Amino acid sequence: MKAFGSIDTLLPRTSAVLAQLRLAALAVVAGALVAGCGAGSVQTAANPVTPPSSSTQSYTGPAPASGDVQAFVVNFWNNVKTTDKCGACHIQGNQSPMFARSDDVNLAYQAAQTVVDLTNPAGSKIVAKVASGHHCWLASTQACSDTMTTWIQNWAGVTMGASKAAVQLVAPTLMDAGGSRTFPTNSSLFASTVYPLLTQYCSRCHSPSAVTAQSPYFAQSDVDAAYAAAQPKMNLDAPALSRFYVRLHDEFHNCWGGDCAAASAQMLAAIQAFANQVPITQVDPNLVLSKALTLYDGVVDNGGSRVETGLIAKFEFKTGTGTVAYDTSGVEPALNLDMSGDVTWVGGWGVQVQNKGKLQGTTTGSAKLHDMILTTGEYSVEAWVAPANVTQTQAYIVSYSGGTTQRNFTLGQTQYNYDAFVRSTNTDANGMPPLSTPNAKQVLQASLQHVVMTYDPINGRQIYVNGALVASGDPQKGGSLSQWDNTFALVLGNEVSSDRPFSGLIKMVALYNKAMSASDVQSNFNAGVGERYYLLFNVDKFTGLNQSYVMFVVSQYDSYSYLFDQPVFLSLDPTVNYSGLVIKGMRIGVNGAEAAVGQAYAPLNTTVTGQGFDPTKSAVSAVALSKVGTTIALQKGPSYDQFFLTFEQIGTATHVHTDPTPIAPIPTDSPLPSDIGVRTFERINTTLSTMTTVPKTNAAVSALYTKLQQSLPAVTDFQAFVASHQTAIAQLSIQYCDALVRDPTLAPAYFPGLNFGAAPAAAYDTNGRNALITPLINQMLTANTAAGKFLATQPSAASVTTEVNALIDKLAASVSADTTGTATIAKAACAAVAGSAAMLVQ
Amino acid sequence: MNAAMQMRQTNGARPTRAMSATLLALLLAVLAMPAGQALAASREQAMRIHDRLNGAPPTQAVLDAMQAKIGGGDAKGAALLAIDDANGNFYSVVLKNFVMPWTNTDQTAFAPLNDYVATVVGMVRDEVPFNTVLSADIIYVGKSGLGLPAYSNSANDHYVQMEAQSLNLRDVLVSAPQSATTGLPAAATAGVLTTRAAARAFFSAGTNRRMFRFTMINHMCTDLAQVMDTSRPTDRIRQDVSRSPGGDSRVFLNNCVGCHSGMDPMAQAFAFYDYIDTTTTDNGAIAYTPGTVVGKYFHNNTVFPQGYITPDDHWDNRWRAGQNALMGWDQSQPGSGNGAKSLGAEFGASAQFAQCQVQKVFTNVCLRAPSNAADRNQVSTMVGHFTQGYSLKNVFAETAAYCMGN
Repeated sequence: MKAFGSIDTLLPRTSAVLAQLRLAALAVVAGALVAGCGAGSVQTAANPVTPPSSSTQSYTGPAPASGDVQAFVVNFWNNVKTTDKCGACHIQGNQSPMFARSDDVNLAYQAAQTVVDLTNPAGSKIVAKVASGHHCWLASTQACSDTMTTWIQNWAGVTMGASKAAVQLVAPTLMDAGGSRTFPTNSSLFASTVYPLLTQYCSRCHSPSAVTAQSPYFAQSDVDAAYAAAQPKMNLDAPALSRFYVRLHDEFHNCWGGDCAAASAQMLAAIQAFANQVPITQVDPNLVLSKALTLYDGVVDNGGSRVETGLIAKFEFKTGTGTVAYDTSGVEPALNLDMSGDVTWVGGWGVQVQNKGKLQGTTTGSAKLHDMILTTGEYSVEAWVAPANVTQTQAYIVSYSGGTTQRNFTLGQTQYNYDAFVRSTNTDANGMPPLSTPNAKQVLQASLQHVVMTYDPINGRQIYVNGALVASGDPQKGGSLSQWDNTFALVLGNEVSSDRPFSGLIKMVALYNKAMSASDVQSNFNAGVGERYYLLFNVDKFTGLNQSYVMFVVSQYDSYSYLFDQPVFLSLDPTVNYSGLVIKGMRIGVNGAEAAVGQAYAPLNTTVTGQGFDPTKSAVSAVALSKVGTTIALQKGPSYDQFFLTFEQIGTATHVHTDPTPIAPIPTDSPLPSDIGVRTFERINTTLSTMTTVPKTNAAVSALYTKLQQSLPAVTDFQAFVASHQTAIAQLSIQYCDALVRDPTLAPAYFPGLNFGAAPAAAYDTNGRNALITPLINQMLTANTAAGKFLATQPSAASVTTEVNALIDKLAASVSADTTGTATIAKAACAAVAGSAAMLVQ
Repeated sequence: MNAAMQMRQTNGARPTRAMSATLLALLLAVLAMPAGQALAASREQAMRIHDRLNGAPPTQAVLDAMQAKIGGGDAKGAALLAIDDANGNFYSVVLKNFVMPWTNTDQTAFAPLNDYVATVVGMVRDEVPFNTVLSADIIYVGKSGLGLPAYSNSANDHYVQMEAQSLNLRDVLVSAPQSATTGLPAAATAGVLTTRAAARAFFSAGTNRRMFRFTMINHMCTDLAQVMDTSRPTDRIRQDVSRSPGGDSRVFLNNCVGCHSGMDPMAQAFAFYDYIDTTTTDNGAIAYTPGTVVGKYFHNNTVFPQGYITPDDHWDNRWRAGQNALMGWDQSQPGSGNGAKSLGAEFGASAQFAQCQVQKVFTNVCLRAPSNAADRNQVSTMVGHFTQGYSLKNVFAETAAYCMGN
């Protein structure tokens, strides 16, 4: 594989992230300071939104000495100088540094330089202070640090333009992978603990001999094979994370006894009993494995690639605890949302809303939306959401409204569609009619999506999903927002009246008083959502190279998995050169064992060539190993899950990976069903044709068969034979016999001795009856009466003769006494035999 | 007005009621026999063989000849007489209905004759090695002179008319190179997979995974639920598969991945195929775009942007390892390739394919699935015979002989 000079040339898709790894002029010994120019990092230089009531009006000191000081004042000083934040202490004559002093903003600016890092806002000293709880003005230190970061970013955005946000790749502390409980080779422990529950309660499906067989077959009769199938469903290190347990406890999957709590407890106890008997074993020493890391050992990607021009409110859901979702836009007043009902925090930032839960701000707090949006007449609603399903309707995701009949705007879901309701002079007070994404496109999927609704006076509403414009051409066009109401409240996941519930995951919501451009939307979609870390897995031991790493960008994907993405090989030592380094069969290990699911890099087989630092390009030379990302199951949580990599080969070190030998299920006997059955539809038609000698193409027969065929048996099983089948058979038989008897050629040939020209009484004397019945026996019972050949599997000729004679007797008493009656009796006798089991059973 | 209504109008309800009593009596007479009753004579065995293989009763002459064969210890020979009965019902009725459910997503036999069915019928009749059914450059059409509409890539009339005229499929079908008939490049033909009927059912809209799934169902006798294996690498799962359906990645890691990790790398073989129908008259046709991956492979590509982007029609059989190695993949095959033809050959060469064909025939002829050790041994024996020349006709004959009763 070719090595490239800079990372962003390797991965077009991922350049937004990896471009941040360009080396800055400063290179440090322990690592490389890399400046994130950030593709997509702030691309426009418009000023951030300032609070509506600017307090600069009360400032009477010297004017800002430069544009940078002006940016400091607008974006930072105005926010921190209030007494509820830093203005109570860090002012003139009080606590140093005096960055909040009100007598001279130029001096405040100088003081601020000591606590702010414009190249890395999140790494600023002042951010660390509030994050540690130092006079945090909110209940959440996370929210304080995010808000402070935003203010510094806004300042930096003006001062430094597009060049800001830095990522410093630092060599992690070397740590070996710890041990864990691994599954014993022998199945006996399993057989005595978990297996009995499986065979008792799960074998009706999870066994190959089940009527509705459902893989995996962990409840099959062969315990060794069942054990192999059951292993991925058990976690011996953390039994409560076992799929067997979770399936019962959290997902209520076929709980026995109708009591999921008891069933899951029983299962958990069984797995625990199993685990207790398995000693902790260290990682297989034969593996070729990297050093280990937890997620938080990685280098944080500070995500400087979003475009947030005109941001007025932002919810990132980073807090993870409590009942408040903080507005971290940095635009005062903060529009914090109170969680009520069924709203829960999820891993990797986000909230799960279900069962009519909601997050709602106050009307006074929400009024800033009204005020700020009316100053521009345009706005955007951006959200990262994962709808729980594609069946919910009237499900409101983001709404600024006063109930089900009045709103300023709402972004909602109707099955596969996103809907945008906006109030303007061209729509009604309820934002009707809505603009929806096209039905046919089904753009809304039950997966994490980036959705943006924009509104401007020219185009009206537009909806972008995952970066693409999917709904435009608003029939209502844009209008004035003069009818907006400032007494409404912002609500997420519902209507304020709690009767438009949305069910799903909300990972971020941002509101702007600008209509985002298509490129802005695309940038923010590319930037992704959630916290990401650069994990550097040291492989020096096998490469023989200094500070050589396989690096992943890792994030917590949702509450149950991590996303491993963009693997590259690199060295942080500028002097290292490598050539022809083979990397093959890479697997991700978690807590001492290779992850059972998601090994996307197992097929990897590549050779890398490059160098640690390319002075001609001032960039880290990293070689991409794969273009795909993969999800790996979360086990103990991001603080505790320890990752490492294993290799089938790296450099000259090798380890042969062998898949477990699959064990074939042992077939089991099933009760022997009947070995006879009924003829199916076309066989019946063909058989009737053969028996009566009437061709299938006969018009009347063909027409009736076409009409009836789906009423005839479709399967041979007697158990599926029902009365309607017999009715259809009777109809078809009668039609065939009618065609036979009516046909002037076929009838005499079929019944050679029968006098159709006589009345019933004469026609069905003894000889006449034989002339009717004998051909029926020969043709329909496949008998040869002349040769005395009969089939024991058919009704006996005598019984058929008796039954048909009885039929003739009954009919003779009721049919007309002319030749019509003779024909009728012939048809009836024919149909009685043709439509019987003599024809039907095969 | 049908005959039943005529009788009712003429004679009132009594004849029908009386007739029903007769029908019931005759039905009971047969059903009174215990299931699986020992048959005393070879004539009854011959009758059953004929019933199962031909669908309709034989003439006395045919039955006599079959009885003689059985009497001479050649039950399979008797079965072949039933198969080759001049009435052609084995091909026109039994085999047709056996195959028809493979050709539509509803898996119903109530569908018009089509090129997929005709091709299988013809291959069975001519004993073309059946392991090529998913890879050969072959198709069966009606011979000339029958007054049928010509074969069309965009219509099924050729076969509809064949059926409407109740033509004997034993006699009217002729083999032709599929490439010469449909215009597909020879290298792009893949037996029945690239017939119009298969394309219409399995390449239309969607993501072409349907073709893979139904090939598994119809020719490997296993639906995806039975082949789930979550241990396979996930690198080839396309971007349209959510890794966190509804915000819960456990669903992906425990379910979706089980099928997609094996299916997506193999369904990539169909990356150049599509079925385009812009008409309202069911006049669509297969479309083949060599070198260009059809757009459906990129639908919903933002669901998981880190997923696999299909660059070509290269397929890999990831199920050669893991539990699905039990399908008995032929180690002499490469296990990877480009396009549907080589994938079809991969399937056709597997032990599971042979086992499946025999098992399907067994179930069809014996009216039950193999149920005990004796049945399984018989299936195993027949699989052994089948793989010698891949004659499915022979499997029908051997199965009928096994299930003829005793």
